[in-house]
Formats: sequence, structure tokens, C-alpha cells
Amino acid sequence: MTAETPPNRKTVSDDDTELIRAINAGHAERFPELVRRYEQKLYNFGRRMCRNESDAEDLVQDTLLNVFRYLNEFRYETKFKNWLYRVAANTCLKKRRRSKFAPEPELSLEELARPEEAETLEQAPEWARMPLEQLLNEELLETLNQAIWSLPEKYRIVMILRDVEEFSTEEAAQILNLSPANVKVRLHRARLFLRDRLRGYFSHDL
Amino acid sequence: MTCKPHDHRHCLELFSKLSEYIDREMDEGELREIDAHITECLACLSCLQSLKQTIALCKQTGLQPVPAVFSQKLQSMLQDLQRSR
Repeated sequence: MTAETPPNRKTVSDDDTELIRAINAGHAERFPELVRRYEQKLYNFGRRMCRNESDAEDLVQDTLLNVFRYLNEFRYETKFKNWLYRVAANTCLKKRRRSKFAPEPELSLEELARPEEAETLEQAPEWARMPLEQLLNEELLETLNQAIWSLPEKYRIVMILRDVEEFSTEEAAQILNLSPANVKVRLHRARLFLRDRLRGYFSHDL
Repeated sequence: MTCKPHDHRHCLELFSKLSEYIDREMDEGELREIDAHITECLACLSCLQSLKQTIALCKQTGLQPVPAVFSQKLQSMLQDLQRSR
């Protein structure tokens, strides 16, 4: 049964709406079209969330299975892309809960603050002032990816949604079922953690 | 630019808001407060610049192509799904 939008609820229409309505009206043969639109983004989301490639592939497969199963519950109240990432995020977080029992470490703002910076700096480090095109190379991207994988998952997922996938704070909060304030706190700590790793990398290089 | 002597405890307070400042997700008063502070505090300016650069780098991580073998695996999974409906 297709979920109807209750009266007085605002609906969102975007480039995917017509396709999803068609699939939900019985044209399941068009589902691969939807997959083709998001396959690469979803795969890359999976690769960033999971260090292990086969885990990333499992995440993509399980997400698509869940989308196929529950697409008729999509109520057109948000962009499909946001709903898709909500399914992917839930799939990912459920997998972690099943596979690990140790609580995730917290990132402490005090530890990331490094007050000694205040006393020793004369100017911003060179890497922070260089144009991106001069900085970027494969080794740096590899370092950054390793740093992203080192983030505790609850920080990593927020950082990926905000700074890589470029969802707004509100959207990331809806996707993760968190308050916007909580998203902001986690994002700031994740960014500081990554900044710290990059500082370590550049302190050897520059 | 010189760094005027000041109480760095205030820096730590502002430090916790730097991402909101970068994202322009704070009220005008707070934005102006940080605007003014970074013109006088090298440490906070440096922190701000390195944080902005970190974010810019994260946005450059790019999209990898989906491996052909995995893409084929997905296609066959989709065919099975459709048959099962």
C-alpha cells in the first residue's frame, strides 16, 4: 500500500518525485533508474563511513534493500535524497551497534583546544594560508581519509553529512534524529580533530 | 599584525564557537564579537584559518567511481528484487 500524505502536511517536490511516484504506483522496473542516480554518492558515503571496502559495499546493498522495501512509506515531506541518507545512516549505525560493544570515545573540546597555541604563534601555519590547489595531492588526501576513519563514528557521520555531502545543520539533524545544537557540537569537535591530524601531518612536511 | 596582550580564557570561550562562526550560524552580536577578536588575537586567527582550511580540504575529497564488479553485483541484486515483487 502506498503511503498517502496526510492533509495539511507540506510536501516537497524535486527531480526525484516523479520517478518515486511511478515506482510506488507499481513501476518497480524503474527502481534501477533511482539506484543509478545515487549509486556513486551512496558508495562514496559508505567508503567514508567504513574503513573496510567490503563493509562499505554491504552498507550500500543493505541501504538499497531497505529503500526498496520501504519506499512506499516515503511521504514526500522531505527531499528523497535526505530520506535516502536517513536510511543509509540508520543502516550504518545499526550495523555498528550489532558488531561492537565498546562505547565510543568522546572528543573533548579542552583537549582539542591546545591553549599553548596562544603563546607560541606568530602567524597562521603555512598550510592554512596556502591555496588549496598547491596543497592537494594524493598523499594529503590519503592522510585526510585516514583521519576521517579515525574519528569516532558519531562524529564522523556528522562531519561527512555536513562538510562532504553538504547538508545543512537542520537537514543533518533530521537525518540523524539529533537536535541542531547537538549536530553543531559534534561537527565542531570533528573538525578540530581533523585539523589536529592535518597539523601533525604538515608539521613533518613544511 | 601584532597580538595584543589579553586574557586567553576568553579565547577558549570563542574557540568553542568557531565552527558556528565559519558557518555563519550565530547571531549578529556574536559574529561581530568574533570579527573584532580575530583582528587582535593571532592565536584565534590562526586557529580560524586552519579550521577553514581543514573544512575546505574535506570538501575536496571527491567521488570515487563505483567498482565495475560491485556495480554488476548491485544490478543483479536489483533484478532479483524485481522478480520477487
